[in-house]
Amino acid sequence: MIEMENISKVYRMGEISLEALKEVSLRIEPAEFISIMGPSGSGKSTLLNIIGCLDTPTAGSYFLEEKNVAGLGFDQLSTIRNRKIGFVFQNFNLLPYATTYENIELPMLFNGRTGKKRRQRVLELLEMVGLVDWQHHRPSELSGGQQQRVAIARALANDPSLILADEPTGNLDSKTGEEIMGLFVELQKQGRTILMVTHDNNIAAYSQRTIRLLDGRVI
Amino acid sequence: MRAQLLRYFSKELRKRKKKTALITFAITWGTLSILLLMSFGRGLSNSFRISFKGLGDNLIMVYRGQTSKDYHGLPKGRRIMIYPGDIALLSALIPEIELISPESNDYFTITGGGRETNRNVCGVGPAFGVMRSMIAESGGRFINEEDELAARRVAFIGWNMAENLFPAEIPIGKTIVISRVPFTVIGVMKRKLQSSSYQGFDADHAYIPHSTFSRIHTQLYIDRIHVQPKRREDNQLVERRIREILGRKYRFDPEDDYALGIWNTIEDAEVAGKAFKGIEIFLALIGGLTLLIGAVGVTNLMYALVKERTREIGIKMALGARRRHIILQFLLETVIIFSKGTFWGTAIAYAIVRLTRLVPISYELSGIQTYLLRPIFSLDILIVFVVVLGILVFLSGIFPAVRASRLNPVEALRYE
Repeated sequence: MIEMENISKVYRMGEISLEALKEVSLRIEPAEFISIMGPSGSGKSTLLNIIGCLDTPTAGSYFLEEKNVAGLGFDQLSTIRNRKIGFVFQNFNLLPYATTYENIELPMLFNGRTGKKRRQRVLELLEMVGLVDWQHHRPSELSGGQQQRVAIARALANDPSLILADEPTGNLDSKTGEEIMGLFVELQKQGRTILMVTHDNNIAAYSQRTIRLLDGRVI
Repeated sequence: MRAQLLRYFSKELRKRKKKTALITFAITWGTLSILLLMSFGRGLSNSFRISFKGLGDNLIMVYRGQTSKDYHGLPKGRRIMIYPGDIALLSALIPEIELISPESNDYFTITGGGRETNRNVCGVGPAFGVMRSMIAESGGRFINEEDELAARRVAFIGWNMAENLFPAEIPIGKTIVISRVPFTVIGVMKRKLQSSSYQGFDADHAYIPHSTFSRIHTQLYIDRIHVQPKRREDNQLVERRIREILGRKYRFDPEDDYALGIWNTIEDAEVAGKAFKGIEIFLALIGGLTLLIGAVGVTNLMYALVKERTREIGIKMALGARRRHIILQFLLETVIIFSKGTFWGTAIAYAIVRLTRLVPISYELSGIQTYLLRPIFSLDILIVFVVVLGILVFLSGIFPAVRASRLNPVEALRYE
């Protein structure tokens, strides 16, 4: 699923340069559920951003489903993010003006999916996350747990094989967090690969394998 | 697929109405103020033009004068008179003349309808009415050839005189007495705008055939000759020819500007026309500068809007938006805001112009409202304005849009 070879990322800010990732190599098989742990500044988010094609590495090679991702342009990366990757964020990142329905619908519009199929898929996802009755509400009218479920439904819109979650339970109470993890386990059973950054050992326990980072290196 | 995305974006814009209200208002206000500026400016110069023609259209007036140069042994300071015979002479020798008429006038006591007034009475030829833009109210007419030939005692009167003497009656057919001679009123002058005059305005005068005038007034010479050239361009030529022909007859130097008084209104009109054009250009300049300032303002507001939505752009990028989707969204918003703003601005400006034109105006000269209350809303102004504004708004929209599309998704997502 994912093959990374000697990935490095250097941030330059004027004279100072910061090495966020140092020759990281990774191999992740399809349908794995992996947690990424490490202290602040260890490079977890940078790694997740590179895997998610939101950022590009300074050096190294990255194959996603046997496709070389390094060196692709912005629009090509956009297409990969749109079709193969679903993002779940700590702060949900829903569009504030859009309803539940419209938030879930958006990735399919970038993909050009036709009206009828799109509607069918949104309803299917609403059913799955249990928010059919909330489809016309805006994010501000939903609880944190509900918002995260909308975000998960949105991440699944184009049926991606890879789910990337950055502290998905960070803004939720523990009971709601467990519900969300239940959904992730569900997704893994469907055969999706899940990568999740977390601080919380209880949450990491849902995963099968944990990758630990320290000072930009895998330990 | 594009259409669905556009629909989604415009739906999003509708929900963010309050945030864009300021820009929409700014564009509405700008459209409104510039269109009003131009409409009132054009109306002003149009009213000026009409009132300028109120005295007469394409008119050259020739007066008696006094020589200021010695000529063939004759001293300067001689009075030069003009006589009825000069009319036939000039029209025979100057083929460029279209219409010609004598005019002599004096103040007389006029009675009619049981009232009395002291007014200017003018003896004129049949061509005078046309040259001086005098139109008869329905039911009446101006002096004609037969009146002149038979020296009929008929009178054409200005609307003010008509109201003074016959406030509640139709004057046509009534008798008025001028200098103890009875005249039949054959016509009343229709109201017209008139900005320049001599010896009072046409509204206050009575006009009678010149031949009749000569019989009630013992004066052999005439006061004025009115001439209208066939073509406007010939006005200088006709003026020069008049000086040459009358100079030969009355022995004065054609180069002597004081021997004959000549008022060439065509020349005046051309100068005034340039002044009006100047005013319009000046207003257009003000409008253009206002537009430019407005465009800077709109660009600023668009930048602010983009900045405010940085995180949202990051989210869309994470979900798979390409650069062109981001640009498309911001351009679409610009176009919609622009269309809304110009539509309302135009509609309100149009309504104001139409309503202003409904206000009745007086035809008395001094009223400033006569000139201000007749704005003209013209399509050519609107088209030029919309095109210019469209280009400015497009430019002010494209830069923020491109900037938004160049955002780094990771940084955009982190933006608070």
